[in-house]
Amino acid sequence: MTNVTTRTTLRSDELSCPSCVPKIENALLALPGVTKAEVKFASGRIDVEHDPALSDVAALVKSIARTGYTARASAF
Amino acid sequence: MFSELMNIYRHPASRRKWLTIASGLFITVALVAWYGFGLAAPWAPLMTIAAVLAGYDIALRAWGALRLRQLSIELLVIVAAVGALFIDNHWESAAVTFLFMLGAWLETRTMSRTRGALTALIDAAPVTATVLRGGERVEVAAHEVALGETVLVRAGERLPVDGEVIEGTAAVNEASITGEPIPAEKAPGSKVFAGTLAENGLLHLRATGVGGDTTLARIITRVEEAQEAKAPAQRMIESFGRWYTPAVFVMAVVSYIVTRNVELALTLLVVSCPGALVISTPVSVVAGIGRAARAGILIKGGEHLENAGRINTLALDKTGTLTEGQPRLAEIVALAGQSKADVLLWAAIAETGSSHPLGRPIIEAARKQGRLPTADALEEIAGMGLIARHDGHEIAVGSHRLFDHLKIDFNAEARDGIARLHGLGHTVVIVARNGEVVGLLGLADMPRASARPMIDRLHTLGVNRVVMLTGDQRPAAEAIARAVGVDEVHAAMMPADKLDRIRAMRAEGLRVAMVGDGINDAPALAAADISIAMGAGGSDIAIETADIALMTDDLGKIAEAMEISRATLANMRQNLVISVLTVIGLLFGVYTGSIHMAGGMLVHQLSVLIVILNGMRLLRVPKAARTRAVAAKAERVAA
Repeated sequence: MTNVTTRTTLRSDELSCPSCVPKIENALLALPGVTKAEVKFASGRIDVEHDPALSDVAALVKSIARTGYTARASAF
Repeated sequence: MFSELMNIYRHPASRRKWLTIASGLFITVALVAWYGFGLAAPWAPLMTIAAVLAGYDIALRAWGALRLRQLSIELLVIVAAVGALFIDNHWESAAVTFLFMLGAWLETRTMSRTRGALTALIDAAPVTATVLRGGERVEVAAHEVALGETVLVRAGERLPVDGEVIEGTAAVNEASITGEPIPAEKAPGSKVFAGTLAENGLLHLRATGVGGDTTLARIITRVEEAQEAKAPAQRMIESFGRWYTPAVFVMAVVSYIVTRNVELALTLLVVSCPGALVISTPVSVVAGIGRAARAGILIKGGEHLENAGRINTLALDKTGTLTEGQPRLAEIVALAGQSKADVLLWAAIAETGSSHPLGRPIIEAARKQGRLPTADALEEIAGMGLIARHDGHEIAVGSHRLFDHLKIDFNAEARDGIARLHGLGHTVVIVARNGEVVGLLGLADMPRASARPMIDRLHTLGVNRVVMLTGDQRPAAEAIARAVGVDEVHAAMMPADKLDRIRAMRAEGLRVAMVGDGINDAPALAAADISIAMGAGGSDIAIETADIALMTDDLGKIAEAMEISRATLANMRQNLVISVLTVIGLLFGVYTGSIHMAGGMLVHQLSVLIVILNGMRLLRVPKAARTRAVAAKAERVAA
């Protein structure tokens, strides 16, 4: 069960200026096991491809919180 | 107490809120002390504390971005605030940090309200589902329901999955999918959607779509993609935004080198975020698309929204769009001294032996006026009509050809009647009894009641040319066109002709929207500036291919989609004007020395708020639409 990438969708409705997009993306990509991070400003949707063994959903949420935004996991 | 404080601290949004409030308090105390009591001593320390409180979170974010090697707006603001403290301008420092925080907080709140239209849809899908497993009721997460499992839905609950009813009946409110507030009756065999609301009854469903594979999830994904899809104006602004910040930064440095004016340089840093400009168009697009989605109108992106807002010509098919798509009995002509009721009765007796589509409306109409006896003998002559024996009489019902075949002649009265009905665009069914023509039935595809108001609404909107493109014959097409107020009719058209017509209109310089069912109109739809698919709720193809997909086949939605597009386009332009004027005004004010740091931040944050609030106006249902909805409801209640 190594290197299994899953796709997690998070949502945040606190994005108020597009300048936060690269900030959050870079914070997520800096985590181990995160291969892709995409922040969509208009809808507040954050799509992450990651290896849950290295960085789980809680770690993603925490790293977004460190950039100053609250996000939560969403089913779709 | 302490753990509560820690909780507030850990949650970024509440931390920012409390820091902002605290900072504001210190500023207020300092202002009261100075202006109220003439105390100068607390001014500098209080303002410094206020600046530190509000600046703390900004600095934290600036540092976070810096670690990721990013030059952020927060960094510029914090440099300006610290710089102001160093030149002993405590008030400017406190005001800049406080206003930045307050503005950001308000912007976040309003922005999430703008996104709220979609949040309501996302929240429509329940998190858990009750399934039957081995005869037991088990509560499981909605996305863990297996396909084919039986899901139970009680009155008042939202459906957790897409499925088919296998047991029970209920009135299901499908507003989350179709925007239609009147609940639909569901019985075994009916298709139901996740996120819809069972208003009564108890339903057993067989799950056919779960989690991300439900119609609701697909709609949400589509809407979100649409909101991200950038309008052309938006792309231009974004590239402008990318060089704006560095450019102002360079201007600040150059201005300092040239003028040695620290305050001027710091003020430039403060106003260097192109805030209002970069969110001016996305805010309108998000609000417009979200508002449309709530009404069951899927607009597939900012570009389509812009195009739809400029439409001045609308082309549509007749059958099934403007009309009900099913023939109805429109007129009965009684001849040879007979009564209309008898003519209808005789025709219906013969039609019971037929499976022809024209038979059904005749039988239905006859049943409404009384009992319908069965024929003693029936003979169907393919492609011509029917001959029936009833009560010792011979009844012949059918087209012109049947009567040529039976060698029954038409007198002048019958011939005039037939010509008149043909002129109205009706299909004529002739009725004869014992060898004598006794009556005529005119059948027609009737215009839908909602067609005329929809076209009137389009005309008021400025869609001046409503064009009917139909494969049907001219008299029928013209009769419908007159009834509903279409401006232009093109009859007897093959799909290729429709395509040519759309191209010709575009060549005239018109901006054309085409309404169709997405399959046999496909070429014409593709050729139009905007393609609109109707009744897309059940069909993924229509959702995928059309620029605008209407979840129901309610004609009013066409006008509503146009109204929303126009309003959004206007809103986008207003926002652009507001934000461009702000940028010009700010730079002008800074260089003429009439705007300083606090003022610059205030104007900047205000402009961002105004732009968001203006976008939010789109979320409101316009007054006219509300009155219409109320009127429609009252009509239904009366009927």
